[in-house]
Amino acid sequence: MNASKLDFLLRTQLPLIVFVIIASFVLTYFISRPERDGVGYTPDQPIQFSHLLHAGQMKIDCKYCHTTVDKTRFASVPSVSTCMNCHSIARKDRPQIIKLTEYYNNNIPLPWKRIHKVPEYAYFNHSVHVNKGIECSTCHGSVEQMEKVGQVNSFTMGSCLSCHREAHDRFPQLKDQINKGPEYCSACHR
Amino acid sequence: MSENFDNKSSINNPDPNYWRSFKELYNDRDLLEKKFNEFENGVTDDFDPNTNLSGLSRRKFLALLGASAAFAGVACSDYRDKGEIVAYNIKPEEVTIGKPNYYASTCTGCNSNCGILIKTREGRPIKVDGNPEHPINQGKICAKGQANILNLYNPERIKSPLRKNYNIFSETNWQYVDDNIINVLSNATDKEIAIISNKINSPTTLKLLDEFKTVYPTSKFYFYELFNDSVRNSAWNKCYGEGTFPLIKWDEAEVILALESDFLGVDENRIENVRLFTQMRDVDAKKFNRLYVAEAGLSLTGMNADYRLKIRPENQLEFVLGLLTELNKKGVIKSSFNFNVNLFEFVKKFNLDEKRIKYLLEDLSEKKGKSIIYAGESLSEEVHIAVNLLNELLGNTNLYRKDIRKENLSGISDITEFEGLVEKIKNNKVAAIIHLNCNPVYHLPEDIGYKEAITKVEDVFTLSETMNETCQFSKYVLPINHNFESWGDYKVRTGTISLSQPVIMPIYNTRQLEAILLTWLKKSSQAYSDNIYHDYLKLNWQDNIYPKFSQSLNFDKFWYSALHNGFITFQEDVKSNFAFKNDSIKFDNVSVSNNSFTLLLKESYSLGDGRFANNGWLQELPHPVSKITWDNYAAVSLNTAKQLGVKENDLIEVSIENRKLRIPVFIQPGNADNTIVIELGYGRENSGVIATGVGFNANKLLSKKSNYSPWIYTNVKVVKAPGKYILASTQEHHNFDIPREQDLHFKRDIVVEGTVTQYLSNPNFLKDEHHKEHESVYKPFEYTEVKWGMSIDLNKCLGCGDCVVACNVENNVPVVGKDQVLKSREMQWLRIDRYYSGSPDDPKVSTQPMLCQHCDLAPCENVCPVVATTHSPDGLNQMTYNRCVGTRYCSNNCPYKVRRFNFYNFRDHFRNGYQENPVFALLNNPEVTVRSRGVMEKCTFCIQRISEARSEAIREGRKVRGSDVKTACQEACPTNAIKFGDINNPNEEFYHYRNHQLGYYSLAELNIKPNVTYIAKLRNIRTEES
Repeated sequence: MNASKLDFLLRTQLPLIVFVIIASFVLTYFISRPERDGVGYTPDQPIQFSHLLHAGQMKIDCKYCHTTVDKTRFASVPSVSTCMNCHSIARKDRPQIIKLTEYYNNNIPLPWKRIHKVPEYAYFNHSVHVNKGIECSTCHGSVEQMEKVGQVNSFTMGSCLSCHREAHDRFPQLKDQINKGPEYCSACHR
Repeated sequence: MSENFDNKSSINNPDPNYWRSFKELYNDRDLLEKKFNEFENGVTDDFDPNTNLSGLSRRKFLALLGASAAFAGVACSDYRDKGEIVAYNIKPEEVTIGKPNYYASTCTGCNSNCGILIKTREGRPIKVDGNPEHPINQGKICAKGQANILNLYNPERIKSPLRKNYNIFSETNWQYVDDNIINVLSNATDKEIAIISNKINSPTTLKLLDEFKTVYPTSKFYFYELFNDSVRNSAWNKCYGEGTFPLIKWDEAEVILALESDFLGVDENRIENVRLFTQMRDVDAKKFNRLYVAEAGLSLTGMNADYRLKIRPENQLEFVLGLLTELNKKGVIKSSFNFNVNLFEFVKKFNLDEKRIKYLLEDLSEKKGKSIIYAGESLSEEVHIAVNLLNELLGNTNLYRKDIRKENLSGISDITEFEGLVEKIKNNKVAAIIHLNCNPVYHLPEDIGYKEAITKVEDVFTLSETMNETCQFSKYVLPINHNFESWGDYKVRTGTISLSQPVIMPIYNTRQLEAILLTWLKKSSQAYSDNIYHDYLKLNWQDNIYPKFSQSLNFDKFWYSALHNGFITFQEDVKSNFAFKNDSIKFDNVSVSNNSFTLLLKESYSLGDGRFANNGWLQELPHPVSKITWDNYAAVSLNTAKQLGVKENDLIEVSIENRKLRIPVFIQPGNADNTIVIELGYGRENSGVIATGVGFNANKLLSKKSNYSPWIYTNVKVVKAPGKYILASTQEHHNFDIPREQDLHFKRDIVVEGTVTQYLSNPNFLKDEHHKEHESVYKPFEYTEVKWGMSIDLNKCLGCGDCVVACNVENNVPVVGKDQVLKSREMQWLRIDRYYSGSPDDPKVSTQPMLCQHCDLAPCENVCPVVATTHSPDGLNQMTYNRCVGTRYCSNNCPYKVRRFNFYNFRDHFRNGYQENPVFALLNNPEVTVRSRGVMEKCTFCIQRISEARSEAIREGRKVRGSDVKTACQEACPTNAIKFGDINNPNEEFYHYRNHQLGYYSLAELNIKPNVTYIAKLRNIRTEES
């Protein structure tokens, strides 16, 4: 190997290769970040329930189905019997409703795909946020405009904290009602 | 133990300061070295690959790791999958997801039958508390009741009926066993059907048994209890002709003399006893009782005595008669009896403290009618008669409760009836034996010959939750429902009947005991339905109990309100005036001098008579006095140990006639010489992985004919036996202080005590003596809102350990096992420290619950390299598990040694993953993270309860108040010694306790500003002594 070739390798090629590798790592890291956080995750559900139809067009209140959202830390997914409140009469002929009725009649619980999740060691409390006047859409996006629900925001500790730190900037209309959100560990972890 | 042990000078000049063991008292070299070293020997050892890990080589491990990673990579292609949310099909109306429901029920752990509230989350029981409205236990429940929930989920419960074939049990179905058993019972027309049970307190079950007898007329019932008050009641009968020993108004007794009685420790009525007793240890109302205890072994009651006398059980009669004679001489009582016992000769003979006897005599005469003398269940009938007489003469009978009496529904069969049963078996007159949830093979004295006899009966049927000694001799073993899966009613007192209701469907293929009997009674296996006993119970209530009430409610409403409350109360007349019959008084052999050994068999504090032996939480709960876990032992005094030539952990052989037992020695300060105390309930066989082989079966020493009482044996032979057996005690764990001899200028002030006299003359005496202002280099943080704090009243704390188990259940604390306790790795967040002071012959005892003090200037926080432990604005010392990397610096820097490290995943490590069984997932509190290996943990002040109170406050649109939160230990404490609340709010009750005149911080000179205040213990010793 002659000197000029080695020189070229060390001076140009090597830095270039190192730069490309690092750059691609960094780019992938940042570009894939929302993907890794689950943003955009829109799984198929066992029943193709449309929030657009129910919450958007028919304007059924979120709390009609997610009954415990202002009572406990869980919003709770409604039981099949809640659907049957209407669908024992309404739209009984649609294939999805027939499938739903089958679940109900055979007494099988519905295995919905989970979309939003914080880790088990974080104890997020729905009722605290809802009772303080924070809208569901703040975290879950405009669910009433989704035919099929997917994740809109990232559910990382960073996202929690950014809101907790600048609560008044994010919710100017709630300035009188809310303080800054707590930032100490045991507010969420125990 | 080193040679210093026998050092004369230190015996004569004992360390006046607190000591926890002999080793500490006599500056044992090993212990000094231990204290010098930061960690217990072995605690930081690397894991020994031969014992702790499988023999996997590094190469193989890497290969497996690579392969599993590859598999995982392929398998987890949908990396975004977050699992499923499985919603109910039809949600039960009463369930709100995330909110607990509480159901009133009754605990059947012992014969107290306390009212309980079972907390369930989404249909599964997760915690048990006392029912606050229940008239007997008033919201409190003991450690056994708390830990009972572990028995519900015990993966070793029998899961379906078993049939024995060539000594091997195989699973079968209910119809098969029912048909066979009904067949056997129906054919037993001329032979007896023996039905054996523990005492039954249920009126409906007894009615069912009556009906059983009409259907199967040859049935005969036998009831037994290993520990019972039959001697006390028979003495009562001899004195008064009828009735049973009354309940005592402990809250009105100003002087109590307890003779060999552990009424604060293991008595049946303990929860009520301690509540009433500590009402007279109230520093705010300035009410103080004085407790004299005369006993042989150091018991929990003796530990809390103001004056303690060491008297061997066989000398108790002479002591009581001596008191009688002396009081008669002084003219305090007028009695025609003359027993000719000279109390002061007795005192001299047994080397008792004459001063204390004088005080006792003076107190008894001053507080005539306001004192009580109470003899323990294990003492002989004569002592009980003498005590009844003395109470009668002193006018102490006004402290007998006249409105309520104990009920004894089934009663207890005499031991001779069991002898008769064995005789009948020998003569082939018994067709079948049915054991109703009892274990006579383990409990009955061996010389009755029951175990040998039942092998001769082919048809032995045992109804039991788990396998035990008796099951091994049975043809069929029928699994029964746990307490929490069962219906029932219980009557232990006049005027109250408690109800129990199932809170979960049977987890395994089990049936309720009464339902099984009902099926047999109807002579058809098809008669069974899930509701069979529920319907029977309801009908019995409708026919027999409901008519006692005013009929303004219809029966259904009455029934549901009774179920909701968990009990009913009603007016029931009781005979309360009994006339003392003088003709019963005759005493033989008053003066006993005994140079041989006396053996005392006691009920275990945590295991009862052994029925809680397969409960890990209870096995690991340190003994309240000796702090030993996972074993029983022979407690002897220091002198006796020397005389026998034994040291701690040496084995001795105890023999009475031909009955022998080898058991390790524990030198118990305060034990009477030549007396051996052994607790029963251990040494179980064939009873599951937790119970089997733990401790020693001292039931072997029981005999049908005792020379003193069923639990006390005199003329016992004791010799040293070869070998050693290491006991796991927590008493020297978490040491840190250098003995004060070396460092006198550091007054550590861990425990601070005073006397009642001091307090009454100057309520601020403690602050005057101990108060020092400390300066801090840190600028204090401003706590503007709620700041959490705890105060523990050491006058009320008796050191029972109920709080420890409550904390375990609430906070998912794992069981670690004896091998780990030996390495100081027990995980309990809350421990009860027990300190001795004074001489080992006659120690004073102090107890102190020790938990995370949530110091404002917490030393642990400064040293955490990853900021896993920090301080919250409401004054909590937080522990963030997912941040912790396990350096253990915090534990090293904690002056109270309250941090616990997960050296293993103990759930996996203990008994081969016993606690990893999926069924335990149901037991865990869903609001508390289950910690894994390598993580530090500690008391959180029940942060999950604080968070729940906060969100509840936000729901109601207000600020959280200190009184909104009750910690698990506070809820459990039977004497209400623990208070919790807001330090900053002067309007709350807690503020008073936080700023109490007697309040002090443990190790206050460290100036780390703990948020736990202790209220100093006051000893009610006589004015001339203080």
